[in-house]
Formats: sequence, C-alpha cells, structure tokens
Amino acid sequence: MQAIKASSFHLPRLNPVALITLAAASLIGAPVAIAIFTGVIGGGGDAWLHIVSTQLLGYTMTTLAVIGLTAALILLFAVPTAWFVSLNEFPGRGFFEWALILPLAAPGYVLAYAWADAADVAGPIQSALRDVTGLSARDYWFPSVYSIPGLSFVMASALFPYAYLTARAAFSNLSLCTMEAARSLGASPRRLFLNVALPAARPAIFAGLALALMETAADYGAASYLGVQTLSVGIFRAWHSFSEPAVAARLAVLLILIAFGLQFIERMARGRGGIQQTATRWRTPRRQKLGPVAGWGVAIGCTLVLVLSFVIPVSRLIWVSTETGLGQGQIVRPFLNSLTLALAGSAFAFVLALTITIGARQNRFSQFIGRFAAGAGYAAPGIVLALGALFILSWTGFSVAGPAALIFLVWIYASRFTAAGAEPLNAAFSRAPASLGNAARSLGASRFQRLVRVDLPVAMSGASAAAIILFVETLKELPATLMLRPFNWDTLAVQAFAYASDERLAAATLPSLLITAAGLGPVVLLSLQLTRAGQSRAAG
Amino acid sequence: MKTTMKTIASISFTALLVACSDGGTAPAALDDGTLSDAAVESGETTVSMEAGSNGTLNIYSARHYDSDKLMYEAFEDQTGIRVRFREAGANQLLETMRAEGENSPADLIIASDAGALWRFKDAGLTQPLPEGEFEQHIPERLIEPGRQWVGLARRIRGVAYDPERISPDQVDEWQDLADPSLEGEICVRSSTNIYNLSLMAEMIEKWGAEDAQSWADAVVANMARTPQGGDTDQVEAVAAGLCSVAITNHYYWVRMTQSGSDATREAAAATKLAFPSFGEGEGIHVNITGVAMAANAQNNDEAMQFVDYLLSADGQHRLVDETKEIPVIEDVTWPQGLDAIPEFEDSDTPLDTFGERQSQAQRIYDEAGWN
Repeated sequence: MQAIKASSFHLPRLNPVALITLAAASLIGAPVAIAIFTGVIGGGGDAWLHIVSTQLLGYTMTTLAVIGLTAALILLFAVPTAWFVSLNEFPGRGFFEWALILPLAAPGYVLAYAWADAADVAGPIQSALRDVTGLSARDYWFPSVYSIPGLSFVMASALFPYAYLTARAAFSNLSLCTMEAARSLGASPRRLFLNVALPAARPAIFAGLALALMETAADYGAASYLGVQTLSVGIFRAWHSFSEPAVAARLAVLLILIAFGLQFIERMARGRGGIQQTATRWRTPRRQKLGPVAGWGVAIGCTLVLVLSFVIPVSRLIWVSTETGLGQGQIVRPFLNSLTLALAGSAFAFVLALTITIGARQNRFSQFIGRFAAGAGYAAPGIVLALGALFILSWTGFSVAGPAALIFLVWIYASRFTAAGAEPLNAAFSRAPASLGNAARSLGASRFQRLVRVDLPVAMSGASAAAIILFVETLKELPATLMLRPFNWDTLAVQAFAYASDERLAAATLPSLLITAAGLGPVVLLSLQLTRAGQSRAAG
Repeated sequence: MKTTMKTIASISFTALLVACSDGGTAPAALDDGTLSDAAVESGETTVSMEAGSNGTLNIYSARHYDSDKLMYEAFEDQTGIRVRFREAGANQLLETMRAEGENSPADLIIASDAGALWRFKDAGLTQPLPEGEFEQHIPERLIEPGRQWVGLARRIRGVAYDPERISPDQVDEWQDLADPSLEGEICVRSSTNIYNLSLMAEMIEKWGAEDAQSWADAVVANMARTPQGGDTDQVEAVAAGLCSVAITNHYYWVRMTQSGSDATREAAAATKLAFPSFGEGEGIHVNITGVAMAANAQNNDEAMQFVDYLLSADGQHRLVDETKEIPVIEDVTWPQGLDAIPEFEDSDTPLDTFGERQSQAQRIYDEAGWN
C-alpha cells in the first residue's frame, strides 16, 4: 500500500537516502496502514452501528477528558519542578534534579495496580483514616482511583518525566543575556518565569507533553484495570467482546486522529514559539538561591511530586510482595524474555529512528514521510498494530507460534516506538547550528560525506538518550506483547497483567517491581548523563 | 571532549544493543525450556512443530496459574509429550485463533466459564472430543451434549456477607438481593465481567427476561457504590464496612482465607460465604473451567491423553489446588480451605445457556445502568 502511495508522489530527487527513508517509513507505517485499511474496507455492520449509537461519544469524551486532565497534571508536576531545579538553589536540588525522572521506569498499569490497592476502601490509607478518626467506611467520601481523575493521575505520574526532561533542558538553555536583560529591567522572578522563561520554553514543554499524551491515549493496561472506558479500551472490547476487528480498526482511526491533533497542536505551539534564542552565550544562568522558607517550600513540593508519583506506589508493591512471600512462579525466564525482546525491539527502533532522522535532513519528502509514519505508529495503540500484524500473519500463512511471531513482535515494537526514539535524535540536530551543513557543502563535501561526517555524528549525540527511552518503553509494552508473543514467551509485563487481572495482586507485584527495576538502571543512567551534560555546559 | 565522550558512550551503547540482540536470538531459537531431554539429545536445536520424541501438544489457556506450569511439566514427565502453551484472556485467544485461521497451532483450548467455551464453539473453533471413559466419571451436565467441551473443575458464584448486619435468610435466594431492605448494602463488580454475564444468563433462563430485568434494576438501586474492582475487592469492602453483601465467586473468598497477608485473612474471616439459589429447589449458579479440542488440532491423540490426565486424580489436584475450584471427579480430595464452603445443590440449566444468552444478559445490565 505504501508503495502505491509513494509512486503517486512526484519525487523531486530520488536519491538513495530518500529511498532508504521511504523503506524505513514503510516498515514503521505498514502495520498501522494495514489495520486501518481493513477497518475501512471491512465494514462493521450492526456492531459498528451499535457502537456508534451507544458508545462512541462516551469513549471519545472519556478519552478527551483523560487527555485534558492528564495534561494539566503533567504540567503541574513537571513545569514548576523543572523551573526550580534548573534556575534556583534549594535544599536537595541536586537530588531532585535526577530523581524526578525515576517515575519513567514504572509503567502506568503498574502504578494503577498499586494505587488501586493502596487507596481502596480496605487499603492502608483508608484503614488508617478510619483508625485515626473513628469513622466508619460509610461516613466519609474518598476519591476513587477507578475513575477518570484516578486514571489521569496515574498516567501523569508515569509520564510527567517526559515533559520534565524537555522543560528542564529548555530552562537550562535559556540565554543568559535574555534572562539578565529581563532582570536588569526590573522583572520580578514571577514575571521572569511567566513572561520570559515560559514562552521561550513552551515549544520544548509541548514536545514532551505531546509524547506523554499520545502515550496516555494509547494506554490500555491502566485504563482497563481501572475500568475507565477510553477509546483504547473500546478498541479491545469491539474486537474481543463483539468479535469485530474491523470495528476495532475504525475506532483506532479515531484515536489516531486524536493523536495527530495533539501533534498538530504541538507543531503550532512550536511554530509560534514566542522568543527566539539568538544570543550566542549558551550558558545556564547562575542559579538564584532561594530564601529558607521558599527553599524548603520548593523542596517539599518536589518531595510531594516524587512521593505521590513513585515512592508510595512502589513501596506499596514492595510491601505487598514481602507480606505474602514470593510465589513459586517462574520469574527468571519472563525476565530474560522481557530483556531480550526489549533489546531487540529497541535496537530495531533505534536504527529506524536514526534512518528517518538523518533522512529528514535530505529533503522535505523524506522528512514528511518519516515523521508521518513514526507519528502514526506512536499514536496507534499496541493492540491496533498487533491487529495489523495478525492480518499479515494470516495472509502469509505464518504461525504465531514460532520464531516468525518474534520477528513480528520486534517489528511492532519498532513501529510503535520509533517516534519516541527520533525525538532525542531530532533534538540533537536542533542543538547544532543549522549552518553546519551549509559549511560542509561550501567546503565541497558531497551529499554522502555530509551525511557521514556531519549529520551522523550530530545525531549520535542524542543516541544514548534515544536508546534508553526506546529500551524502557519497549520493556513496558503490554498489549502487542499480549497478542503476539509466541508459545512460552511470557514477559514480565504479560505476567503482571495476567496476575493483576486475575485478582492476584500479590503474585503481580514481583513482575511489576522487576519491570520497574529493569527500567530504573537505564533511567538513572539517562538522568545522570543529562544532568552532567547540563552541569558541564554551565561550567564551560 | 564532551562530544567525544558522548560519541563513545553512545557508540558503545549501540554496540551493546546490537551484541545483546544478536545474543538474544540464541534463547529465542532455543525457545521455551520445556524442550524435553529426549528432544535435546536427538539434536533438536530450533523450534519446530515436530519437536519432542513423543509428539507435541499446543495448549491455548485462559488460565494464569503457576501450578498450571507444574501440571504441564508433570504431564511431560509422565508421557514424554512436549507441552507448549499460550496464555491470554479467553476473548483474546478466541480472536487470535480466528485471525490464525487454519494456521492455528492450537490443539486444546482451556477456558474458565462455560460462556467463554460456548463462544469458541459458536465461532466454529472447536470439534467434538472423541468418546472416552471420562464420560462415566463426570456429571452429565458438565459435558457439552456434542462433546464440544468437557468440564474440568467447578466454580460457584455466590455472596460473601457481613454476619453482624445480615442474617443468612437475607441471602439464601438471589431474589433477596433485590429487596429494598438491602439498599446501599451491595458491592459488585462491573457487568461486563463474564461471571456476572453468566449469572444473568442463568437468571433469564430460570425467571424469564422480565423478572431478570427487574432484579438487575433493583440490585443497581441497592448498590453501595458504582461497580469497580474485582470480586476480592468487593469482599474486602464488606470487611471494611462499606457494604454488607458482596457478589463473588467462591474461590476468591477461599483464597482470601488462605492468603499470606494477615489483613486479607482477617477480611475473609469477617465475612461468611453463601450460595443463593434461584428459588426453592432451583439450584445455585455452578459454572465450570473446561477444555475443548481445537477445530484444526493436529495432535489429537496427545490432546486426549492430556484431557484424560486432567481428569485423573493427579491432574485434578494440580488443576484446583492453587485455584481453589471444586474438582469434577467425585472421589478426589478437595484442596485446602475448600471445606469451609457451604453445601450446595447443582442447578439443571444447560451450561451452553450461559453463552447463548450472553448478549441478552449484557443488554439487561446496560438497561439497568449497571456499568
């Protein structure tokens, strides 16, 4: 299908790099395209009409509500913390600078299991509340995690580090001149933040926010566990309860449209980015020391964010797993399976991300097709991509039992996550002066030389961030793995989900904690690396 | 300097990725560790459908129990047949099989709830099991008339109640839950759950759609909160005092009594389990975990050997010891904790009804506003 689409374009210059980019984009986009294609031609009959008339509005409104609320919470968690950590000195700043990235290691569904248990009427929080106040369970109102706000809170907890990272980088990169000019003009810290820093950092914050929100829209594990009827859950239901894959694919089109809408908003925000950083002194402004009251206030705020998003849920899981003792279950094999799949999936996604990022430097067509395919893949929930893969499997006669399914799974991971890997690579280019490529050309470098000696090294400066993000995302992936894993290839994510949905939280805690632990190492690495990069820039 | 460091770091990371993913194919090729010794000795190194000296058996199972893996291993040890399994939700397995079509490797399908088994049958994904001795040991109701599936274990949907607030005669029939005296007292999970769908399906069969609808309406009016969480959460909510009657499958309650967590055991101890009937002499809601032969099964003999094993004393023990379901074979001793459940009398509703009336049941719940 991609080939037909491509040939109808008039390609300006069909060079090898553009062709390779096109091939990469086709690989990324094919599962989405196939799933959508079958949805559009497959019809849907009564089930489609039933869903349109009874469920569609609800699914859509719920999804939009979750996205909106999650966005607000992410901004609340990420922007103030990033601001204070980057530009102010307060007790514990060095710790929070890297620790606030840690929640990235815990998947949303794991946080959902933990919070649902901890905040339940029989859980420790409400039990303590009753013990202290002497109230009975019927005497008071308590917020429920099984709700749109509950899901939004869980998703924001898991994903705010994306926006925190981009916001922090943007605040640290604020030009010293701009800041000092504003300060010397008598701007208060508040005005400095609202009128100077925030507009300048807005595109970066939106970039991180858009990634997090697309991930939120595609989430299945947390939403289904908490019983929130989002489009993603509706897609599962259409397929699994109504046996209508075509209807599922149609709902997926809607979800992809929402995700493209988010991307569009992000591009708009980026395009109109208020203040251009033209000053050449790229030094992090000296951090303002906060007074004792403000300093401790900020420290408490940062602690609160970290405790709510990470410490409480993870401690609850550790508590439950130690309380009941470890099961007799196999854990080593799922652990190795998870690592193997995550490494293979992230390696493939990395190569594709690098290809489309480099390709985007060549011409507009490559840029468009690469971004479009990666955006569509990232926007599509894992279940939709798995649906596409299953269609291919059934056409080609492969069995989902054997090694072929592993290859498909790795392919789906790449299709799903390439966009997340391309983001840091793109950021590497935006940090490098645009004149670099022109200088190379004026020095007589051929297109290929420019590619190898300029573009590739520049892109690779974002490589470790890209690789780590890809690895952690792939490790946490649930729905596609659930569908496509071959015989005896359970992963930690699959085990955790199976146990938790079977009401055996105690058994689900160990795989849940292991996913988090396996992701924690790379996340700490990423965090330290970024922090150090920031410091050396500030010192240099 | 900085850039050099970064480049080195990133290149070595990429190298690591490549190296690891290369290495990763080794375990991939070796597959699942359940490769029998005989297969290893005979030089089998890659995944192949024909692996194993005494054949292979491919199981699609909707159960997720560690004890099942031990059960497969025990069967492998006994027979030399290599077992490969794939676990996922019943609906998911069903849709996977539809997508796989004739290429599906599944030989046996194991699923909890007769409603789920019916869906496999209805989709044409099963075939009749060969006649066998098993038919003499299992109650007739637990075998599909065309032998499209056979029950392996029984599961009962009942209620856990707070004995300090509720007397046993307030919960001895399902109709009692509709009584206005229970206003604000009932905790129950979402109606999309198959256990609730099957329960409603049997109500429709026993009482007719109209009465079943009134029952659902009345229960919604009696709910203490909007449906959320699983059965265990409902029992815990009774223990916490939020409501006084929770609809639950028996084994969730039994597992709570055997839990490693003090709080969970105490919660179970604060409640009592009852099995409401559909009315005088109408029996209670007994469901099954069952097994079916896949329509495109390639290893039928191995599959039947496994079914026979599941219905042997050893197989029954391994099947229910962790799940706390009730064995279907008469003289098999019950798993620990199961002696605490009330005595019960089975109903005579054909189990296929649970599937046939599933969508009608969902409509009734939807109509009642039971989310």
